[in-house]
Amino acid sequence: MQSLKELWDYREMLGSLVKKDLKTRYKGSVLGFLWTFINPLLQLLVYSLLFSVIMRAGIENYGMFLFVALVPWLFFSTSLMAGASSIMGAQGLIEKIYFPRIIIPISVVCSNFLNMVFSFIIVFAALLITGVGLNPAMGFLPVLMAIEFFFALGLTLIVSAVNVYFRDLEYILGILTQVWMYVTPVLYPIDMAPEAIQGIILNVNPMSSVIIAYRDILFYQKFPDVSTLLMTVLCAIISMIVGVLVFGKLQKGFAEEL
Amino acid sequence: MAAIEVENLYKSFKIYSDKGKTLKERLLFKKRRAYEKREVLNGISFSIKKGETVGLIGHNGCGKSTLLKLLTRILYPDAGTIKVEGRVSSLLELGAGFHPDLSGRENIYANAAIFGLKKKEIDERLKKIIDFSGLEDFIDNPVRTYSSGMYTRLAFSVAINVDADVLLVDEILAVGDVNFQQKCLKKMRQLRDSGVTIVYVTHDTDTVKTFCNRAIWIHEGKIRKDADSWEAVDAYLAFMNDEKMRELEKEQEPVQEEQPEEPQVQEDINDEQPPAEEPIEDALTEEEAPAEEAELDSNHFGSGEVLITKVRFVDEQGEVLDILKCGMPVSLEIDYQILKEQNGYNFGMGFFTASGINVFSTNTNIDNIFPEKLPQEGTVRFKIQNLSLLEGEYKLNVAVVNADQAPLDYYRCFLEFAVASENKKAVGTTYIEHTWEIPQA
Repeated sequence: MQSLKELWDYREMLGSLVKKDLKTRYKGSVLGFLWTFINPLLQLLVYSLLFSVIMRAGIENYGMFLFVALVPWLFFSTSLMAGASSIMGAQGLIEKIYFPRIIIPISVVCSNFLNMVFSFIIVFAALLITGVGLNPAMGFLPVLMAIEFFFALGLTLIVSAVNVYFRDLEYILGILTQVWMYVTPVLYPIDMAPEAIQGIILNVNPMSSVIIAYRDILFYQKFPDVSTLLMTVLCAIISMIVGVLVFGKLQKGFAEEL
Repeated sequence: MAAIEVENLYKSFKIYSDKGKTLKERLLFKKRRAYEKREVLNGISFSIKKGETVGLIGHNGCGKSTLLKLLTRILYPDAGTIKVEGRVSSLLELGAGFHPDLSGRENIYANAAIFGLKKKEIDERLKKIIDFSGLEDFIDNPVRTYSSGMYTRLAFSVAINVDADVLLVDEILAVGDVNFQQKCLKKMRQLRDSGVTIVYVTHDTDTVKTFCNRAIWIHEGKIRKDADSWEAVDAYLAFMNDEKMRELEKEQEPVQEEQPEEPQVQEDINDEQPPAEEPIEDALTEEEAPAEEAELDSNHFGSGEVLITKVRFVDEQGEVLDILKCGMPVSLEIDYQILKEQNGYNFGMGFFTASGINVFSTNTNIDNIFPEKLPQEGTVRFKIQNLSLLEGEYKLNVAVVNADQAPLDYYRCFLEFAVASENKKAVGTTYIEHTWEIPQA
């Protein structure tokens, strides 16, 4: 409770870190902040061209099919990856000044989250242009994003703290997130996988239902299956609890370990 | 009311000789994980009242900076509790968290936010911060274009304008130019007078005396003295002086025992031709050795017909001194041995700084003493009522020449000695008795 109040007191710092990250991410480039939008737009174009012209995937509008899933997946995986090295990246701050350490991984997840939101602006624009249009199911999108946010945050808290003591984690995570992406229906529809594996993908991997839900809402324009999401909600809650506890325990040694 | 309450604080660091942080290193080199545990703080308790200004003093590595880091909550204690009331601002490392690509103004916001300030609070202080830094013209330039002085000025301005209840300061006033330093000190005094609790870590004991009302001397991880700042600082300085003396004693012992007994050198000199005659007054008062003498042994020469066998400093009771103190009565005793009678004797001495500058030199002839007959062996005493050499390292020249000023036994730098100073503080080589007169307001 105490630390929650403290976190609130330091919200300005959180805001400033996120702002700093978004502002300086493309610093020095001519287009600057515009890259936040251009980047996903170009990606979308590449995927659309690649899969509709060169590699025909047999799915209509595959570029869009992929993009609506890839954006939330990238939020998740880059949060984990960037989060893992975030404490070490903030070494200068941590050794010199006090602030609630938890702000660092939170700011990483937040800035990646905002990046996803900006990418969704492109998604919506593309949806309107390609004639897919909007639908009432999109009202569920914020809830879905919130679930994914907390799941990602919980895991990021754990990896960011553990990585200070065990620096292999960063590299292990690099491979792990790749594998994780392939066992999540990002590149393919779930029914493309052999039926025996489908169950595992759906029941063991909490990200599957999240990605499927994004695609249902944005691509197929239908309400997602809320019941499959319950498992993810549970995972998000557990990961948050474990994350906060682990981080709280490990952060005491940060200044010494770095 | 206590602003800072520290109880039974323990902190140790693990010193790894070579720590493996990756999986491979951990698995392969188990031995490397061997570490040594170093106790830095060993049960420290104190309580600082609101509005107190406390200096933390102690020699390097005594744990005072660790204590400060524990107070700022950068480090966590192994055992014990720390309670700090109110908002804390630390001037430990200035400019932590400055982003080089953001402008000065943006960095003010970012940096103040790290201190836990909200947007509104920063808005209110912005003008004050910019004014204090004196960087109005550069405030919208990226910080990477700043000079290091400008950088610290901006950082100090932010940290000092946070309006903290507790200010933790680590030796940072050596930043910026003289004017800015004075501005900082003035601001710190204002803060102190307005009731801000300040904990100040520094080696500058004079500042502790004048700025703080209390000082805590930490020694080997424990509180050695916690008292009024003057009292604690004086106790600390006395201790450090003793330490220094002990160290010097160690250094000096071999020098004193070896130097006087150098039969080989003396015999060699006996065989060699005596150097050209030279009036001893000149020799003792000149800084540089004449070139011809350098061929022999520029530091020890003479006919050897009279030998200086031992030289020492003694106090009033005749006890041999290894370290001299400014202001004390000292006698320089020169033991001699006459191998061949001379037509007269002239004993001389000289004090030189370590770098070879003559501080004071004289001889018996200069002082109108012309001994013609002396016992075969004896001791000449050069008595000083009140040693006016200031703290430092010195060299001693001693010499004896005959009535014709021919060197009999002449030592440049017979021994090196140290002078410590407990209460006579001044800069230079010589203490001059003085008083000050200041106009009354």
